[in-house]
Amino acid sequence: MNVPIVTFPVKILNLTSSEKKVLKKLVDAAKAIAHIYQKQENPHFPGANFYPHDATKEEILEAAQNNPSILSPYTMVERNGKGRLIAIPYHLIFKKELEKASSYLREAAEITQNKDFAHRLELQANALLDGSYEASDIYWITMKPYKIDIVIGPIDRLDDRLLFKKASYEAWVGVIDEEKTKKAKIIQHAIYDVRRKVISSSAKADFLDKTTLRVDKTLIFSGLFARGMFTSNSLPVDPLLMEKYGIEITFFDSSLDFKFGKQHLPIFERIFEKRFKKEYTKECLREGSFRNVLLHEIGHSLLRYKDSESRLKEFFPVIDELSATIYGIKSCGSLVLKGIMSERELEAIMIMFVCRAFTWWIDSQTQKSVEAFAIGHALAFNHFLANGALKESGGISWPNFSKMFLGIEELSDALERLISVGTYNDAKAFIENYGSFMVYSKFSSRLKGMTGV
Amino acid sequence: MFMPTTTKNFILTREGLSQLKGEYEELVKVKRPAIANRIQRAREFGDLSENSEYDAAKEEQSLLEARIVQLEQVLAKTEIIEPVKKADFVVIGSTVVIEMNDEIHDFTIVGSMEADPASKKISNEAPVGKAVLGLQVGETIEVAVGPVKSKIKVLEIK
Repeated sequence: MNVPIVTFPVKILNLTSSEKKVLKKLVDAAKAIAHIYQKQENPHFPGANFYPHDATKEEILEAAQNNPSILSPYTMVERNGKGRLIAIPYHLIFKKELEKASSYLREAAEITQNKDFAHRLELQANALLDGSYEASDIYWITMKPYKIDIVIGPIDRLDDRLLFKKASYEAWVGVIDEEKTKKAKIIQHAIYDVRRKVISSSAKADFLDKTTLRVDKTLIFSGLFARGMFTSNSLPVDPLLMEKYGIEITFFDSSLDFKFGKQHLPIFERIFEKRFKKEYTKECLREGSFRNVLLHEIGHSLLRYKDSESRLKEFFPVIDELSATIYGIKSCGSLVLKGIMSERELEAIMIMFVCRAFTWWIDSQTQKSVEAFAIGHALAFNHFLANGALKESGGISWPNFSKMFLGIEELSDALERLISVGTYNDAKAFIENYGSFMVYSKFSSRLKGMTGV
Repeated sequence: MFMPTTTKNFILTREGLSQLKGEYEELVKVKRPAIANRIQRAREFGDLSENSEYDAAKEEQSLLEARIVQLEQVLAKTEIIEPVKKADFVVIGSTVVIEMNDEIHDFTIVGSMEADPASKKISNEAPVGKAVLGLQVGETIEVAVGPVKSKIKVLEIK
């Protein structure tokens, strides 16, 4: 597979020469971890290369009872000479590559004139070499936001489809877009300001007052992020850390530009009826696409339960990702009634939800790390076809927005119940009954030539 | 998006009027000359077709001039509303607590020019603003905008 690095041609004004030098070093650091990710990824095995390919789930769980580090997010599992499973920390096994990445971070720390950011880079460099990720993450989340940002290290666990435990190496570097950040915060606060009924208050993680949000012009993706081409991220992933220190939500506008131009808009052009399409401008649809991402992350921050992951296990990512998106779109109802969002803008969000569903399905055919998103969106898509929100004839559709929004409200209630109090078997049955990709095949003739189809 | 017309009056509190006048003064006396200077400096950088600073400054100037025109229209047709004392029913200026689809919302109803969701100020022309004007505590009403339908109950008028 090709080296997982994607650079974006972004134009950033108002940077000093020292800031430009810092950015160059950070981009080099991001590039340095791409080869680590290549050693971890393997789409042919549900446990990628995190575990020996002949090890079963049962064997791993049994070995972990005596050696919990086997299930640590930050260890590779191998067999020793006697054939027993052992865990080796990432920072030891990938030492050579990590020393290179760390040295770039330290060089950037020496150049930057922002002392907080310099300290953050030093902590991050240390974390890569000794595994002290939590100290680095806490400083990052609690420091005063700075215009330049980098996230680098083992973070998301989407590649471990066997147990959803192991973190993949990834990195991004960006510069904040102040104007877009300001606009995004208006919607974020309008949704946060509402008091909601909580299904399981004892397990709810509450950290809304400690949430930082930024829209970045992204310069580079490396590792898992380059493979998944994600458009947003929310960190940290541990609900206990979230509650104590808050979260930082980042939107990657450059990645969204790419996905909108290459996938969302072409899909819109191919699957919707000609007269229907005329009603929506490209700008309106681009904003609808961004708002899907924004609402998804806002939804995540409102639906964090400390025990969801332990209850739902490997089904957690599907339910977690879909519930966030659907809950976010449902929240737009009150924004429309309050005049914060127009009816047309809400329609564009729903249209782009459908186009994004196709995107996840197409991407999942070559990139297993996005499968949770693809299955989740298929659940919603099946629901829309069943309730008549989306009718299809020869691969062409004309959506009924009233039925679609009703479907979103119904789905949101069901998903919120699953994420807050649902059992493993509830989630399993929900996904097995409604998560079929067959729904997309009705449209596949219209999508010929797009990646993976 | 708010689009001013010349046929209607704009409802404002005295505080809101003062803020808009202040904004107008700043735009005309400070920001307009500043942006003109920026454009002049950017011109001196050379080739305008490759000059991103020039493009950015021109875009900013166009937004600024549009806002100046908007404010001139509003300031010419202002209708002042006095601060409300607690009323038995919802009026412009009331702060209300409502239940909407199992959620509790609180906001103040203001004229459209003062609407500011970040400060929980909702326009009297927004669907929910229109719907609750004149209602008393305990009264309910149904509102629908396209695909969004909701039953609204007034819980408190502050």
